[in-house]
Amino acid sequence: MEPSDEALCQRAAKRDEAAFELLVERYQGRAYRLAWSILRNPEDARDLSQEAFIRLYESAGSFGGRAKFSTWFYRIVVNLCLDQKRKRRWWRPWGGDEGDDQGESFLERQPAPVTDPVDKLGRDRTMKDLWAAVDRLAPRQRAAVVLQVQEEMATYEIAEVLKCSEATVRVHLHRALSALRKTMKEKR
Amino acid sequence: MRKHPETDLVPYLRGELPPAERERVARHLDECPDCRQDTDQLRELLGELSRSVAAPPAVNWARYRAELHQKLDARRERRAWWWRPLPLALATSMAGVLLFIAVWGGRQVPTAGDPVTFEEAAIARNLGLLEQYQVVERLDLLEEDLDLMSDLDGLAAGRQG
Repeated sequence: MEPSDEALCQRAAKRDEAAFELLVERYQGRAYRLAWSILRNPEDARDLSQEAFIRLYESAGSFGGRAKFSTWFYRIVVNLCLDQKRKRRWWRPWGGDEGDDQGESFLERQPAPVTDPVDKLGRDRTMKDLWAAVDRLAPRQRAAVVLQVQEEMATYEIAEVLKCSEATVRVHLHRALSALRKTMKEKR
Repeated sequence: MRKHPETDLVPYLRGELPPAERERVARHLDECPDCRQDTDQLRELLGELSRSVAAPPAVNWARYRAELHQKLDARRERRAWWWRPLPLALATSMAGVLLFIAVWGGRQVPTAGDPVTFEEAAIARNLGLLEQYQVVERLDLLEEDLDLMSDLDGLAAGRQG
């Protein structure tokens, strides 16, 4: 039987390298994808997701086991991403649209849809517009949307990751989706 | 009509609400066409977002893990460096100097060979208490009186002389 994430984390806390390695293999894809969804920059996503694993290695002992391991680890990833966003905003206050400071063209930064590539051009355009609008959301709103839509997390889990109340998450989601609806209405 | 349950619509659509709350929102939706329309649009939007979940650029995972281990080793080495004898001794000395400056900096240490300094220090410590005594408050006046008396003595001696 495969050991649970929580058991692996407890072993990693005792410097069991094999357990840590297994956790990395299990979560590398999710950590990178989550970081990329918030940051929209592959280099930053790789760096920050690796940093999240280093933090995991260093602080595995502080994982109390009250929450799921995935929730605890996602919190590390999301916090690192939000800190990065804050730093970027501080260093580049003139940037306006914070999504435009990544050194890539607008098209390069758009998410690659996993749908069939021969889909209609109009539909692709709509999806690009939609995700471009997600990119323009406030960082915590964006994180809430990504955690719900992409990671399929429940509101209470998102609240644990963002370290806020469920009511706050509901407000984040309501505001984010209202903004997206408004943007999409204007586009149509 | 009761308040629109705007922030409950997403949890309602995702089936996260407890039965009582779910019932309340459903009743409201039956009565409120605006919220019904909002719910339909939200359902459509959430569907579009879920269907178009993005895939990030591909990663070479073996290289990713190799980089991670390099970074982890570098971090461990940096930590280990601080525990080597020389940096540890330097850091301890520095901490000691800073502690000394923080505790003794600006504090004048009276010398044993100067007893007046001890008296002054005692007076300084009890200044608040001493100021409560009227005699002490009037010491300066007493000093002036003594000067005047000596002047008068001098004057009287001069007259006699």
